[in-house]
Amino acid sequence: MDLVEFRTGLDEWLAGHRTELAPTHRGAGTLDEQVAQLAKVKRLTFDADWMRWGWPRLVGGLGGSTLLRAYLGEALTAADLVEPGIYSMTEVLAPTMIDYAAPELAAVMVPRLLRGDETWCQGFSEPGTGSNLATLSCRAVRDDDGWRVNGQKVWTSLAQYATRCVLLVRSGTADSAHRGITALFVDMDTPGITVRPIGTMHGVPEFAEVFFDDVAVPAGRMLGEEGQGWSVAMDLLPFERSTALWHRGAHLQHRLRQLLVTASAGTLDPMQLGETVQMLAALRARSRATQYRMAAGERLGAETSVDKVLLATAEQALFDLAEGALSDAILLGDDPDDARWRSEFLYSRAATIYGGTAEIQRNIIARRLLGLPDHR
Amino acid sequence: MMDAADRDLFAAAVRRATEAHTGTALDAALDEVGWHDALGAEPRVAVSLSFECQGACNATSSALGSVVRAGLGVGPRSAEGPAVVLPALGRWDPPGTLAERLSIRGLGMAALPMAEHIVVPVRGGAGDLVVPVPRGRLTLAHVQGLDPALGLVTVEVDGAHVGSGGVLATGTWAAAVDLARLAVGHELVGAAGAMLELARVHALEREQFGRPIAAFQAVRHRLADTLVAIEGARALLDAAWDDGSSDTAAMAKAMAGRAARVAARHCQQVLAGIGFTTEHPLHRYVRRVLVLDELFGSARALTRVVGNALVVGGPLPAPVPL
Repeated sequence: MDLVEFRTGLDEWLAGHRTELAPTHRGAGTLDEQVAQLAKVKRLTFDADWMRWGWPRLVGGLGGSTLLRAYLGEALTAADLVEPGIYSMTEVLAPTMIDYAAPELAAVMVPRLLRGDETWCQGFSEPGTGSNLATLSCRAVRDDDGWRVNGQKVWTSLAQYATRCVLLVRSGTADSAHRGITALFVDMDTPGITVRPIGTMHGVPEFAEVFFDDVAVPAGRMLGEEGQGWSVAMDLLPFERSTALWHRGAHLQHRLRQLLVTASAGTLDPMQLGETVQMLAALRARSRATQYRMAAGERLGAETSVDKVLLATAEQALFDLAEGALSDAILLGDDPDDARWRSEFLYSRAATIYGGTAEIQRNIIARRLLGLPDHR
Repeated sequence: MMDAADRDLFAAAVRRATEAHTGTALDAALDEVGWHDALGAEPRVAVSLSFECQGACNATSSALGSVVRAGLGVGPRSAEGPAVVLPALGRWDPPGTLAERLSIRGLGMAALPMAEHIVVPVRGGAGDLVVPVPRGRLTLAHVQGLDPALGLVTVEVDGAHVGSGGVLATGTWAAAVDLARLAVGHELVGAAGAMLELARVHALEREQFGRPIAAFQAVRHRLADTLVAIEGARALLDAAWDDGSSDTAAMAKAMAGRAARVAARHCQQVLAGIGFTTEHPLHRYVRRVLVLDELFGSARALTRVVGNALVVGGPLPAPVPL
């Protein structure tokens, strides 16, 4: 299956199954609706094989280039069938399982994620650990059958819907920094786990706090080796800035098209509009090159921080433009479409915060790409 | 087609030529390494490579004229071919207009006054032409201006009678403009990269408050932003070569111009006092990119074109396909 064949086949299939795939809600929908819609679209695309291309056969895939996954997400996003943020979590979590879980565990679990039978979450950040991940303190202690986990996570997207969690824990001494971190694959229905969703400015409670009170995790649920959690995290983060970011770029392109249709004459400033179009084009060009590097088997690293800075800048530029042109809708409107513009405008404010802040990305670029030591 | 090994050899030869020579000597050196042949056979390799090098080395040449000539299909493929008059600063329509008589407002590269033959792209009522014009008919003036080292020449003619020219097929001038924009885009990106390297080295060497200024986040972030701007522009230039669209080429040129201005601003600030002196090379790059940005449409002008077309209901430029 090559990209051209995939693209043609998928486009045709999407057109033929429009009614089945369409969301039942108008506008962005509630988070419950978004999650249900995502599960439905994943199931339909998995059962029709589209979702299986680009993934290894070991985990229920059909093989083929990762470009196929990139195109699938682009097509689903551009047709407004899935919310790109929650869709793309698969792109981050599945590769981690493939690379680090015991093969038999990955073979059982990953198909459930791909097919939308299960939602998973990623437990990294903590109240005291935002940008400086190496200081995390959620504690895991060995016991007879595996691990006991105690502590707290925060900003855990979709935790309230999740069946499993890729969790980073402190397995070494308190001062062991990045050396003493282990990654675990935790069942969210294990006794001792409490999830509390967090209200957010954009009205979508997609993040949660997760509390672990003496939670038992079997030994076979370790991802990689003990103390290898930092590598798991470092290998996972570039995925957030590759396929997932490509999907987000496609979503922004789609919203730009809708903005042009929605905005009244005279409300869009030509210079600001032209610049936004160019920024989105540059983001797409850069992210496209990253997709091809990934498809060629290149190991992605610090250079994906460039993609993230381009994304965050373009996303804020687009919604700044929208806020100017659609001020009535965003400030006063209560129609579902208005509410969606408002919610996405507000969410765009976080584009320079989530997934590594703008400052962290620039620090990575300075240190790793420009070779500027920081003399900490 | 060049294979990977040929391309590496060619790249090294172009780089050596551009590092060692400038002006007419660079024209000759490029000819010697087969650059004009490569321009015909593999324009992407020839243009991206030599213009990035030219930008990085702050060198000058007649290569932009050769690129326009190649876009117009006017031979021969060598430095010996006729010199081409380029559009005036900030413009991208043909420099000549033909009503009853020929008028020209344009620019030439430094070697134009020495050229044996000069041709002018002309827009006439019946279409575009390439018209040979004897040097004696042209009013030529060397430009000092902001960047004297670039050696631009202004070319003017008011109402000359000239012989007939070659008729250009529809779209040919537009194709030449696309190619020229990519060339200047690569030169801007090359120059921006050179400015970044100057500032980077300075930030590592210059110590204040007991540490290199590279340790200060305010400095680091300026340089990081510069790299982001450069990489965004470079990716869009690559995409423009891939998709062959005029829209993408124009956007890439605009992003390259903007990246070069970002680089000039941040790198000048990081280099601070020394970067303001003529003892340091930065000023040559700052001068160069401000002029280059205006060739075949500045970042500002090309951005306005995109926005103006959209606000009156025009279609969005097609996104580069995956």
